[in-house]
Amino acid sequence: MLSGLIRGKVALFIKIALIALSTAVLLTLSQSAFAKGEYVIAGFLFIVILLVNYTYFSKRTVPLKFFLPGIILLTAFVLTPILYTLVMSTYNYKTGNYISKEEALGRIQALALEQDEDATAFDIVVGEYQSSPAILVSDINNNAYFISTPEQRIPLDKARVEIDEYQVAQSAEGFTALDSGEISSSDAAKKRYFFDGTYFIVVENLNVGAVFRQSLEYLPEQDVFRSLITGDIYRDNNNGNYVNENNKDDFLEPGWRDPSWFTNYIRLFNDERVRDPLISVFIWTVVFATLTVITQFAFGLLLALALNKPIRGRRFYRSILVLPYAMPSVMSILIWGGMFNTEFGAINEILGRDIAWFQDPTFARVAVILVNLWLGFPYFYLVSSGSLQAIPSELLEAAAIDGANPRQIFRKVTLPLLLQILSPLLIASFAFNFNNFNLIYLLTGGGPRNQLDGEIAGATDILISYTYQIAFGNNLQDLGLASAISVLIFFLVASISLYGVRKSKVLESFS
Amino acid sequence: MTRWLKENLWRHITGVVMCLFALFPLYLVVLSSFNESGSLQVTSFIPKDISFANYKVLFNDERIPYLTWMKNSLMISGFVAIVSVIIGAASAFAFSRLRFKGKRFGIQLLLLIQMFPAILALSALYVIMERVYKFAPGLGIGTQMGLVLVYLGGAMGVNIWLLKGFVDSIPAELDEAAKIDGASAMQTYWQIFVPLAAPVLAVVSLLSFIGTFNEFILARLFLIEVETRTVAVGLQQFIGGQFSENWGPFAAGSIIASIPIVIIFLSLQKYIVSGLTAGSVKG
Repeated sequence: MLSGLIRGKVALFIKIALIALSTAVLLTLSQSAFAKGEYVIAGFLFIVILLVNYTYFSKRTVPLKFFLPGIILLTAFVLTPILYTLVMSTYNYKTGNYISKEEALGRIQALALEQDEDATAFDIVVGEYQSSPAILVSDINNNAYFISTPEQRIPLDKARVEIDEYQVAQSAEGFTALDSGEISSSDAAKKRYFFDGTYFIVVENLNVGAVFRQSLEYLPEQDVFRSLITGDIYRDNNNGNYVNENNKDDFLEPGWRDPSWFTNYIRLFNDERVRDPLISVFIWTVVFATLTVITQFAFGLLLALALNKPIRGRRFYRSILVLPYAMPSVMSILIWGGMFNTEFGAINEILGRDIAWFQDPTFARVAVILVNLWLGFPYFYLVSSGSLQAIPSELLEAAAIDGANPRQIFRKVTLPLLLQILSPLLIASFAFNFNNFNLIYLLTGGGPRNQLDGEIAGATDILISYTYQIAFGNNLQDLGLASAISVLIFFLVASISLYGVRKSKVLESFS
Repeated sequence: MTRWLKENLWRHITGVVMCLFALFPLYLVVLSSFNESGSLQVTSFIPKDISFANYKVLFNDERIPYLTWMKNSLMISGFVAIVSVIIGAASAFAFSRLRFKGKRFGIQLLLLIQMFPAILALSALYVIMERVYKFAPGLGIGTQMGLVLVYLGGAMGVNIWLLKGFVDSIPAELDEAAKIDGASAMQTYWQIFVPLAAPVLAVVSLLSFIGTFNEFILARLFLIEVETRTVAVGLQQFIGGQFSENWGPFAAGSIIASIPIVIIFLSLQKYIVSGLTAGSVKG
């Protein structure tokens, strides 16, 4: 039916319509990206437009016609983030060092304020004077009034100012007050208003201005900050901060993300505050993945052996046994989390105990393995029973004729053959559990962890959840370090999986 | 009789024990969904009185826009299921049937990319989508469309392994014959491959539906507004406070959310099992 319709002119029309539509949409997006200053994205979209039109109108790009949509999405949302992560892993990129150097320079200068000795503050009104932002200042102590613009200060005769009962000026000739809406939509409250050359007035809130002076001066030629008060020089330490030449612990906030090349990688091996938790998390990750595969496989195989004969009720058993695997795993994990709850969980109630499952490292680990067993044994039951059927019965009969008992047959014939058939799946399952983020994150959150010590690695944290904590946790966030660990995990998982792929000979089928 | 016992008793014991293990949490959830006190406790294994209070809360309480969450989940998963299978099928066909330079390299690159822990590209994704939000507020961070785009980024890699197996099982003689008759690759694809593979594509698309329905971390990152959340994120946030009184509605909610997935899974069991042995692991 469909194939009959999509033919000749209809197909051509649909093709042109689709290309025109996508070109129009992409072009609009590209334009608005360009208008907002997102040049990289605009450029990417523009290249996509060219590629789409070239690919689908040219006759020489047959394979690309099939791949292009997939490749574009892959590049935008998988490849680019991966490359970005790679780049980040060579940066000093953490809490306090998030922004670019230009932004940091601006912020340091904006923050480098020192109030005058008397902490002078005035009642002010924010407004405009001669179409420039201005404030109307009441210096009540000295009984003086003036208007300040960013450039100058205009003294006012008290007689020409309207004053309220508290001696605060409300309006003056030539001065237009702004209401709070107008102020927040303009940058009038962010300006520095002239006071006496050194000092200036900063708008503290809509009615109060305080007198400050700049405490740091930026010297662009040398790329240093000089303290206008002590004369100390703050120099770029090539690691994302300006540091006082005379005192290494005195650095200016905020810092910026700075290329630090392999510092993050070196920290993985040299900095013991990074290395020691990483090693213990790594060990637990391997133990967790290994135990998971062994328990899931053992129970799955036991079931497969038990139900390998057409006994009564086999179909019934089977339909119940796949249920854990059929359930959405997110739901199952959350349900188990509730069952392990200390006060109102079912498990403690059945055991008649008061075990704080997720507060004790050993219990938490047992719980994680148990829940993962529940989630995964049906998978190995299904694949084992499939593979048991694939073992030629002649082999087993031959072994029986040679006088082997059932136990010997299982250990010497069935199990080795099964392991050989299933080894790619066992390796794939190991690799999957090595990165089983959902389970850890949703069940224990990686805990228990000693938060008082500022510990980031919890007892059940596996590498991936630990890295997530480093990057997005509640403590100090260190994206640079997290990215470096991601790259490390990538190499670990890639080598495990490549080993599995070699075994399963998947790649050969593509050549 | 004794021989039967010796042969089969252990089989039944194993079967029954493992069935109890498999059913235990599920039975508890069903039980507590009908229990007004609403904790995951066993007051008794046989429900005394059945109450629908938790289900009513789910549909009437304004703090829990459960129906909206369900709708979001179904829409997002449905859309991703359809589009990702379109993308995946085209790629699998090309990898399986077309000859071109760099094919082996391409498939190896795809395999390699998939091994990068996707969760760890989260921060980069966040930065990119935050920028997209600036010029296209309908596509960036916080939007369902943005989330869908990110899911589709993985579409080519995830489904291709499953699809490739199926494509290879379709006899190549058919499209070779078409080629001899002068059909182009596109014509072969649309007129020979797609009609033949239609049932298989439907299965793969349903699998992709299950996978997307189950996705949690990206959905959590993207869907900030309560109204935009998927059912997995919504329910997780809902019990995040660990208040015991929320467990009743949670139990009811997770049962309703699981029913479509379990039905799809059970009806596809045959295909899923053969796919499993071909080397895929369900997430």
